[in-house]
Amino acid sequence: MKKMFVVVKREYLQAVRKKVFIIMTILLPFLMTGLMVLPGLIMTKGMGKKRIAVLDATGKLESAFARPNEQEKTDPKQEARKQLSGGGRQGLPAQITVEYSNRSGADLDTVAKPYLERLTRDDEAPDKLEGVFMVPSAALSDTETQLTYYSRSATDLMTQERLARLANKSLQSLRLEERGIQPELLDNLLRDIPVEAVQLSRSGEKKTGGELNFIVAFIFGLLLVLPSFVYGQETMRGIVQEKTDRVVEVLVSSVTPMELLTGKILGIAAVGLTQIFVWLTMIGLVGGYGAATAVVADINLSQFIRPAVFIYFFIFFILAYLTYVCVYAIAGAVCNSEREAQQFIMPIMMLMMMPWFLMMPIVLNPDAPFAVAFSLAPVFGPITMFVRALVTEPPMWHIAASIGISIATIILFFWITAKIFRIGILSYGKRPTLPELWKWIKVA
Amino acid sequence: MAEILAVRGVQKTFGDVRAVDGVSFTVRRGTITGLLGRNGAGKTTTIRMITGIFLPDAGEIEWLGGKVAGRGYRDHIGYLPEERGLYKQMKLVELLLFLAEIKGCRAAEVKPKIDQWLERFELSDKRDAKVEELSKGNQQKVQLIGTLLHDPDLIILDEPQSGLDPVNMVVVRNLLTDLRNEGKTILLSTHMMGEAEKMADEIVLIHQGKVVLEGKLDEVRTSFGENTLHLEFDGDGAFLRDLPDVVRSTVHANSAELSLNTGADPQRVLEACMPRVKVRKFEVATPSLEQVFIEKVGAETLSHEVTR
Repeated sequence: MKKMFVVVKREYLQAVRKKVFIIMTILLPFLMTGLMVLPGLIMTKGMGKKRIAVLDATGKLESAFARPNEQEKTDPKQEARKQLSGGGRQGLPAQITVEYSNRSGADLDTVAKPYLERLTRDDEAPDKLEGVFMVPSAALSDTETQLTYYSRSATDLMTQERLARLANKSLQSLRLEERGIQPELLDNLLRDIPVEAVQLSRSGEKKTGGELNFIVAFIFGLLLVLPSFVYGQETMRGIVQEKTDRVVEVLVSSVTPMELLTGKILGIAAVGLTQIFVWLTMIGLVGGYGAATAVVADINLSQFIRPAVFIYFFIFFILAYLTYVCVYAIAGAVCNSEREAQQFIMPIMMLMMMPWFLMMPIVLNPDAPFAVAFSLAPVFGPITMFVRALVTEPPMWHIAASIGISIATIILFFWITAKIFRIGILSYGKRPTLPELWKWIKVA
Repeated sequence: MAEILAVRGVQKTFGDVRAVDGVSFTVRRGTITGLLGRNGAGKTTTIRMITGIFLPDAGEIEWLGGKVAGRGYRDHIGYLPEERGLYKQMKLVELLLFLAEIKGCRAAEVKPKIDQWLERFELSDKRDAKVEELSKGNQQKVQLIGTLLHDPDLIILDEPQSGLDPVNMVVVRNLLTDLRNEGKTILLSTHMMGEAEKMADEIVLIHQGKVVLEGKLDEVRTSFGENTLHLEFDGDGAFLRDLPDVVRSTVHANSAELSLNTGADPQRVLEACMPRVKVRKFEVATPSLEQVFIEKVGAETLSHEVTR
């Protein structure tokens, strides 16, 4: 036991003091946030200034394009919620400048010529246009007519979609007014009534804002999966390294292979937990700030980040990590180089990551038979069960059974790993075949 | 002198190959025992059973006269494997501390010793360097410190001189005899007969998994007779092989070792040499270990390899 802790201590201190660890621990949360936020930011902010000519043959849409960047004031709660769910943008972004031209009744094809010519000019030209948007005079009456958007790239869908929405909204209002209907009246009549998701717990407690469960499930699911795999990989590399550096013989002349294996696994688990602890603290700090936004949105964050979640997280992380790490340790013990081990482990990993690929359907249908089956299956259990526990309230016996099955799996895996590890770490040369591995396992 | 280690009829089979087949020998306190044999004779497997890396299929290891229960006795052994290696990323001090701690030492007790040993091997200035920053020779020294740091009762060295240049070979040889003179016990596995001859008090010769010869070095040599001629000369010594009464011969460019028939007169050989080469050394003595080795296993191996 004492020697095992010497191994744990070495593994832990060596890993934690590496620069890679420190950088990863501090930087990864920022990187992840960046990866999630950046594409959106680039889409909205990064598209550069655009000058669009609007040629209006109806002559009635000026007001629609006049101050398109000003949004009407809405309920702050609604706004905050829209912000969180990433939807609900109206009007034109500030980067787009509209050059409105009232061409009531004109033949657009002739009018358009100078504008289209400006479209093809060099980028540096002073009156260069990025797009020409044409509303034919028939737009108000003829249902078969079409709006046309000219641009240099046919894929500028976002601008096209925004312009079309503005024009259509305005055209609809005009058509209604022609028939003597107040647009505001119709708006009120046709209003979509928003649905509020309420999660009813077994005790009858009501929780609102359930949509956010989605995001929380993904973030925590990632926090659970990523370190399990990263540190499994780390364990594998450590074992291969000890083999290639020929350290292992000195080690097993002092400690038993079992002490060595257990020490490695626990030491690296401690590294993973340290990292997760730091990340959770960072999330906690950011969450404190986020809570302010959430309160405005009338969302009680504490219902997602409740103590039970942390307890589940801790339990299922340990279970997931211990399951995977055994497989990685076997790969390390039977392979002679890191590359070989990577190839060996790749297909197995893909299989083990199944629940991660099925995250979306599981989150959407946490109580569906397939989700229940996955959460009770060996290997897949920890991740699936954790996600289910997060988004719904599975029966206690599901959770208990999942934990029990996982523990049984780990004991079996660990037993097999120990057998293979004992022989594998001293075997160099050709990688053992499956029958040979089976022989190793059977050796007393 | 007391026995520190006894190996009793140990066996180890890998697949169809019986690597060690009933090996028995003892190591006495305060001696250097040479475990000799060709590559693949079963030396390393035997050592791995002594160090508890493998469990013998049959037979026993005895430590200080008692059968070993568990592997606690391993803490009193220092082992330098043939496949040497260290954690390259670790600092010297940390690595040495770790190696001592997995032998059950307490950090506080080991730390001053680390400095003493680093001093002795002239590595004090590299104390906080990483292992990978050291030269290969220095890495070997570090590994040797790791083997000795916990003050083991028995030091087991597997081919400690393999891959060393002649100077370092002498350094290691002197170190081992120094250690023996300090009262340490050493089990030295090697296939270099010349080196074993210079250091070992006792030898155990293993061939194809079996002990073929065991005993004190001088007694072993004497048992092979005292009429072996050690010659040094200038000229072509090829004719020496064909002289009458020469049973076995090893002829090099300027030297030769000739085993004579019992009762043969060495003077006759000298007479035959005089007209043909210029003799610089002529000695009648016991055979060298190399000669003993070839006599004991060489002929057998050769015929074995021919029939295959």
